[in-house]
Amino acid sequence: MIELQTASKIYETGDGLVKAVDDVSLSIRNGEFVAVVGHSGSGKTTLVSLMGGLTRPTSGQVLIDGKDIWALDNVNLARLRSEKIGFCFQFSSLIPTLDSIDNVRLPASFAGGGQGDTGRAMKLLETVGVPDKAKSYPSELSGGQQRRVAIARALINEPRIILADEPTGDLDEETEGDIMDLFENLNQQGVTVVMVTHSHNLASRAGRILTMNAGMVLEGTAV
Amino acid sequence: MVGINPETDFTVGPWLEANLDHKLADDEIILGSDAHIFLGKSESNPGDEEYFYGKKYTVVGVLDPTGIGIDQSGFVTLAAVYDMARGSEKNAVQKLDVATGQISALMVNVENNASRSDVAQRIELQVPGVAVVTSQELMSSSVARQLNTLTPGLILIGIGFWVISVLMIGALFSMIVNERRRELGLLQAVGATRKFIFGLVMLEAVELTAIGGIAGLTIGAMAILALKGVIASSMGIAYLWPSASFIVLFTIGYLFLAIATGVIAALYPAIVASRLEPYQAIRTGE
Repeated sequence: MIELQTASKIYETGDGLVKAVDDVSLSIRNGEFVAVVGHSGSGKTTLVSLMGGLTRPTSGQVLIDGKDIWALDNVNLARLRSEKIGFCFQFSSLIPTLDSIDNVRLPASFAGGGQGDTGRAMKLLETVGVPDKAKSYPSELSGGQQRRVAIARALINEPRIILADEPTGDLDEETEGDIMDLFENLNQQGVTVVMVTHSHNLASRAGRILTMNAGMVLEGTAV
Repeated sequence: MVGINPETDFTVGPWLEANLDHKLADDEIILGSDAHIFLGKSESNPGDEEYFYGKKYTVVGVLDPTGIGIDQSGFVTLAAVYDMARGSEKNAVQKLDVATGQISALMVNVENNASRSDVAQRIELQVPGVAVVTSQELMSSSVARQLNTLTPGLILIGIGFWVISVLMIGALFSMIVNERRRELGLLQAVGATRKFIFGLVMLEAVELTAIGGIAGLTIGAMAILALKGVIASSMGIAYLWPSASFIVLFTIGYLFLAIATGVIAALYPAIVASRLEPYQAIRTGE
């Protein structure tokens, strides 16, 4: 379960302090499929980053399975990120100097993986529909193909949580549909999926929708 | 073959004092570093026995290379030379034209504050029938003085350049870390620890500066090879290569310094890189 307890994230900018996430308390149960919607700048990406331990809250707590993730040391926090959470970013997030299969294997190597990772990585590339691109570098892939490889990477360690920030942002409808089908399949297998999206159409495929505005969650379950 | 008076000689006299625990005997010889070539051997060593004009001589020492004629010479006592001359009557194709007691050259060691040309002139005036030759400037004279004056300054300049190198490499790696913020943030997002990120930056610094050190050594060695003749002729001294062990030690020390420079310079950028918050790093890199 993912919990935020009165979590806030405040940034210093040239225009002063910005509350990207403002005193949010919510919980997401295991196996939920949650869509986070809202206008640009409403704090959706920051919210998901807080959930994934990518940014420390300015105040409040972030708990995964009852543990305050920011009470963990760096090694255990890194292990949490590689083993329990799979990230899909809204931009091309592949390492440009690694080919697709090495990109997919990357989290496994940080989790102490071995030779078996290559077989799993190939299987995942097949699952996401780009098995023929295993030896291609990101510059040789289209936007949609890169996104698919990034999803495969997010799944290599069989995480229990997928955090996806605009995973279908600039993709064609067919690819978008394929990716949503993939997320739904994963969710049916018990994976918790939290997806940020601008599209209410895509959000409607989730089991629950959180709407963000000016750093606050307008809908959600209070802890 | 040079016959010396061990009591008064100052060419190999210092070597004799330092390396021989007895007076040079009449059946002993000191060879120059390249003399073995004339003996048809690949090398000569103390203890070897050589025959000259029918008489056996024991090699008691081999001089270090000097770059001048001494390298191709052998040094024996005057008595040994006269022996060889006598022996040449029976044992040589051409008899040596050296009478007992005869000397072919007299070396005059001039005091430091005396003028060689003045001494040469007085000898010519007072000793009829001799030709006086003064030596070229040697290491003990103005070249050595110039080098001794320049060396501290050169060392300071070298240290200055080293400090600038550290700063420039540090700035370069700061730029590299900045350019790769997003990538470093991504690596943390998929499970890289701070230690890994730190090690990544340091490893790149070590690789780059090691390659730079090797390139510098290679270019420097090629320049010395190309210019050693010019150095020798412009300074009027023999150019000698250091020993193999010195070259090996110097190479290792130089590479170590090159790598240490990279490590010192990249330390701060590596620490900064390891402390990046993943989300901030990813956002900043957008």
